[in-house]
Amino acid sequence: MQPNSSQSHNLNIATLVSVGKHPQSGRVRRADQDSRAVELGLRLTADNPAGLTVLHAGDPAEPSLRSYAGMGLAAIKVLQLDPAADAVAPLGEQLQQCGADIVLTGVRAESGEGSGMLPYQLAEKLGWPIVPRVADIVAVQEGVAEVLQALPRGQRRAIKVRLPFIASIDTAAPAARQSAFGPAQRAEMRVSVIPAETDTVRQSWDEAVAKKRPKRLKVIKAKTAAERFKAATAKSQSEGGRIMKQEAVDEQAQAILDLLIEEGVLR
Amino acid sequence: MIFEWLNPLLIATALLLAVIGAVRRVKLWRAGQPDQVDLIAGLMAMPGRYLHDLHDIVERDKYMSKTHAATGGGFVLSALLIMLVHLLGIDSQLLAWALLASLTLMFVGALFVFKRRLNPPSRLSKGPWMRLPKSLLAFAGGFFVLTLPAAGMLSDGFMAQAGGALLTLLLTALIIWGMGELFFGMTWGGPMKHAFAGALHLAFHRRSERFGGGRSTGLKPVDLTLATEVGVLGVAKPTDFKWNQLLGFDACVQCGKCEAVCPAFAAGQPLNPKKLIQDMVVGLAGGSDAKYAGSPYPGKTVGEAQGGPNQIITDGLLAPETLWSCTTCRACVEECPMMIEHVDAIVDMRRFLTMEKGSTPNKGAEVLDNIIATDNPNGYAPASRTHWAADQNLPLMKEVGEAEVLFWVSDGAFDMRSQRILRAFVKLLKAAKVDFAVLGDEELDSGDVARRLGDDATFQNLAKRNLAVLSQYKFSTIVTTDPHAFHCLRNEYNDFGSDALEGVEVLHHTTFLNSLMQQGRLQLDPFVGGKVTYHDPCYLGRYNGEYEAPRELLRSMGIEIAEMERSGYRSRCCGGGGGAPITDIPGERRIADMRMDDANETGAELIAVGCQQCTAMLEGVVEPRPQVKDIAEILVDQLVDSSAHVLAQEVH
Amino acid sequence: MSSHDALDILRRDPRAEWIARNRLHPLHGAVVDNDMAEQRGPSGLLRKNPHRIGFIGPNGIKRIDRLKGNAAASVKGRRSGAAQAVQLPLHRVENPDFYIAVVADMVGGRLTSHDKDVLGQAHKLVAAMAGEGAVLTVCFGASKEAHFDTAGVDRLLLLDDEIYDDYCPEQQLAALQQVEAEYQPQYWLFPDSVNGGTDLGSRLAARLHQRPAVQAWQVDHQTTVCRGAGGTVDITRETPRVLMLAEECADQIDASRHEALSVTLTALPTVIAQLQNQGPVAVDPNAVALAEAEFILSAGNGIHDWEQFHTAAAVLGATEGASRVAVDDGFMPRFRQVGATGTWVTARVYLAVGISGAIQHMQGIGQCDKVIAINTDAGCDMVKRASLSAIGDSEAILGELIKRVQAYRAQLSVAGDQDAA
Repeated sequence: MQPNSSQSHNLNIATLVSVGKHPQSGRVRRADQDSRAVELGLRLTADNPAGLTVLHAGDPAEPSLRSYAGMGLAAIKVLQLDPAADAVAPLGEQLQQCGADIVLTGVRAESGEGSGMLPYQLAEKLGWPIVPRVADIVAVQEGVAEVLQALPRGQRRAIKVRLPFIASIDTAAPAARQSAFGPAQRAEMRVSVIPAETDTVRQSWDEAVAKKRPKRLKVIKAKTAAERFKAATAKSQSEGGRIMKQEAVDEQAQAILDLLIEEGVLR
Repeated sequence: MIFEWLNPLLIATALLLAVIGAVRRVKLWRAGQPDQVDLIAGLMAMPGRYLHDLHDIVERDKYMSKTHAATGGGFVLSALLIMLVHLLGIDSQLLAWALLASLTLMFVGALFVFKRRLNPPSRLSKGPWMRLPKSLLAFAGGFFVLTLPAAGMLSDGFMAQAGGALLTLLLTALIIWGMGELFFGMTWGGPMKHAFAGALHLAFHRRSERFGGGRSTGLKPVDLTLATEVGVLGVAKPTDFKWNQLLGFDACVQCGKCEAVCPAFAAGQPLNPKKLIQDMVVGLAGGSDAKYAGSPYPGKTVGEAQGGPNQIITDGLLAPETLWSCTTCRACVEECPMMIEHVDAIVDMRRFLTMEKGSTPNKGAEVLDNIIATDNPNGYAPASRTHWAADQNLPLMKEVGEAEVLFWVSDGAFDMRSQRILRAFVKLLKAAKVDFAVLGDEELDSGDVARRLGDDATFQNLAKRNLAVLSQYKFSTIVTTDPHAFHCLRNEYNDFGSDALEGVEVLHHTTFLNSLMQQGRLQLDPFVGGKVTYHDPCYLGRYNGEYEAPRELLRSMGIEIAEMERSGYRSRCCGGGGGAPITDIPGERRIADMRMDDANETGAELIAVGCQQCTAMLEGVVEPRPQVKDIAEILVDQLVDSSAHVLAQEVH
Repeated sequence: MSSHDALDILRRDPRAEWIARNRLHPLHGAVVDNDMAEQRGPSGLLRKNPHRIGFIGPNGIKRIDRLKGNAAASVKGRRSGAAQAVQLPLHRVENPDFYIAVVADMVGGRLTSHDKDVLGQAHKLVAAMAGEGAVLTVCFGASKEAHFDTAGVDRLLLLDDEIYDDYCPEQQLAALQQVEAEYQPQYWLFPDSVNGGTDLGSRLAARLHQRPAVQAWQVDHQTTVCRGAGGTVDITRETPRVLMLAEECADQIDASRHEALSVTLTALPTVIAQLQNQGPVAVDPNAVALAEAEFILSAGNGIHDWEQFHTAAAVLGATEGASRVAVDDGFMPRFRQVGATGTWVTARVYLAVGISGAIQHMQGIGQCDKVIAINTDAGCDMVKRASLSAIGDSEAILGELIKRVQAYRAQLSVAGDQDAA
């Protein structure tokens, strides 16, 4: 659904983008949620391309910015910051200046700390409401947006919120359009150098490549020898599947039903 | 003759108009982009190219080749002699007789053209083309009678006596008709345009390597700096083509041989190579396709397409689905008697759609993103590329630095079915005691899919990185089981200024195995089992001309190949090339199913293949169907275990 | 009388006991649960399997039966005494020196497994710190949870006013601020989950100007290891006051009972919500993206009655999937295709009907937990992969399954009504 055009043509949308990281290769890319946020921004400003500002705080030479630009952006506004700087304050000022009605971000960044706090901190700083995990912005009418929030297992909740507000975009939002090489090369990086405070807290942290977390084993706390024996001799759940060949149809159906109930997928 | 002065005037007028038309046409072509062509050498080579290369292709259809030789040869000779005899008025009986002879030849040829047109096959365009044999007859007949007096056969008086003004009028009408079609129509867009544009097309062909029995199948790289300098990559408008590509489109004779072999057309996907080329002609000249009189794109109606030299092609002239239906199998190019390059044009236009518009359909965008982020189309972790070979103990180039043979594993490393082929091939290499190594995780996707999907930026990136890796190591041969990677390495990696592949022989595994067999390095048991047929992969056969090695290998196991009706250079695509399974344009049938029908007709129980993509496509056909196996897999089953052999000897 | 009481009565079957004693009785083998401890080997020798000898006695101790199983019959009918409910020791905190606050997700009014993990983590922190601490659990909305005590709840702040029934993060935040004012918890622990924990934790952290640790998975009172950069980096840092914990961050409480004393807030603030909840939006299971669907009913070449298949998907509440062939034949749209060349799915339960399992398809369902196959061919790859396979006519089995699921649902709704009453 596209928002009513008459209401949206003077809508001002700011999308904040970060540097993404591919989960398999670790290579920089456009972040999945952020690019969905750009996509949503593009859709909301389809009649008024000037209404969309894409903002990045960091290095303007970052190659992944080009892949956002390839979605058809004429320019990306870059607040050039020291890599160790805290981006919240300068971003907040920038958003207030550009008079954004809706600020779109991802839920959590794919690089850096990735705590997902940025939209909350901005909301706190600006005093705006935040709608987390947005799947779509259905309509904006008379200063009120109708938002669909993504819930687990593909469910949705409708929320109404007055402009201006911040929305973090979930992976359930419409997929980002393809990034094309040509426009990506031509997009302009509008750089403004911003002095910002250094993020001193983070400097004391240790960062390492994530270790694989072992799955929790069923630890048997046996009080008696008998219990220990039982635990040790209990048949492990057999891996080989059960094949029902001779059974009657109703028995087979019942067995399937039982498994579905056991797995809790019948709702 | 009553109007002595009339005929030379008519001829002169027709020729003048033809020249004006020619200049006009040339201007249309010159609107295209510049291309490096040696004009003089091209013109010098043109007759040779016509008589050899083009004629060789036409010769596949004996009826047409003879007809065309008579008609075309007769016409060219007649036209020259007409100028001498009738325009310049050289009074020579000898010339007149020669003219009569050539006109007779042309007339006879035209009769055969006429006969073919009585009940034309569906691939032929109708419309003005149905008129052509009559125009040829009119031309030949008219000038024949006109030449009789000059040859001394009839006196001028006889003509006047016999019919007088009426005969003269009739004769004049015939000549006007004939010259209108053959001189005026040649440069103003009639069916005879093919002779004029075709001749120049042969002279200025973009791939002059194709003449003289050569092969040129690698796509031309895009200059990526154009993105910022010109603001467009690939072909958006007809004028974005090279000028000689535009010329090539104009050379089309609408014979429909491409249409007859196109797998997408047969599958009911919205592609017809002939219509595509005609649409390009509409684009370069401006107008609509309403006059097109051949088969439409399946499922589309003719007459709605509009275009102009500076109009975006995919806005009104051509639907993007048409471009994405192509499997880049090159059957159309192989079959085209005018040697038009359909695949180049299609990929050029795809480049615009992908690199400028970002509209690669269906899974295309996802696959390209994966290739960019992980160097393989399915987005697997790059570090898992060698997982398939965990138990194979393969020497890594990184460790050995040098080997006789570099085994290029390709992305089949990630696919469980293709891994069987890879394992079989490794076993054969080990059995033949070949000194080989693999690149392991240093190998990247060859870029084939990215390039066919129009993302030349990604292809070039991959090619350059692959070449940088290759340049670190020493090897004399690269062998791969993937014809697509084979094609890229052999034909497309040479454009990037690297010497990594200089002096290196790039071979497909069937070629390599065949040479091992001939050296006696592989001991095979004869094959026992049912009938076997062989499916030629497009990228091995048409792209690289390797038809024999796989067959020799099969024969060496005592297999008598039950050939499919379409095999060798006419082999039908499996439907897996050019990113077609990724862009997935719906049709009425599946190409793989049609290919399986071809195989079923031979009664084969086993289809031998030399490509993992073909294997996947053919195995995707619903059972019951013949088994599908790569040649390496068939060989490995027949491999005589040399250690067991030695053991057996010791016992005896 | 409930069925439970009936089991207490020991019923003897004299005939069965007699047959069991008589090793020559033709029915002896059927009565005696012969574990095949002794077997004739191929050469006729009697082979003993020492692992099979004996049985677990009523008190859980292994007994070797010298009567060669003759006494087994008498044991059979006896109920195991070990099943008695064990009274776990009660953990009391009389006057807590400090509090650790846990804000539970309470999906469906019950503690989730994730909530219990967080409670376990809270007790780990309490144990590591000086003084006596209490775990204060904050729950919003009506509660159906009956086992706060064994989950590790020392103090329970149950905010079940009507205003908390719906989605109201701002109101909840205000309540948490009140908790902060009244109890000053040492730590705020939230489950890092999509069920609200992450959102509420982030809101509180922003309000309190704290820098929370998210996806924390190894926490003590000094250092915290948490995941950053989309789960690709481990950050080791000082433990902050607000933590959003990953699943399985700590062991759940299983060896103690807790008081679960109810506490209240002195004041309940009310805020004007800026987010107006318009309620859930009905989502067709088929609108759920295939890749994130939890339960997929997938159709292959073996489906002939497509009407029935779609009905089955609707009745089961499953998302529809398809094999490549079904898509190629035009019965299903392309985006429904499962497999290496289609969508890679992550469903917990994958019910494959009439799919024999091409290798690309099997690759695509690699991450599925439970695969159920309905197929006519018992030898196909899908059956080999499946946890449960029904071999037979898919139409008949699906038909029967539809009937049974409908009956099951009807029964559930009746039971639900009774619960409500």
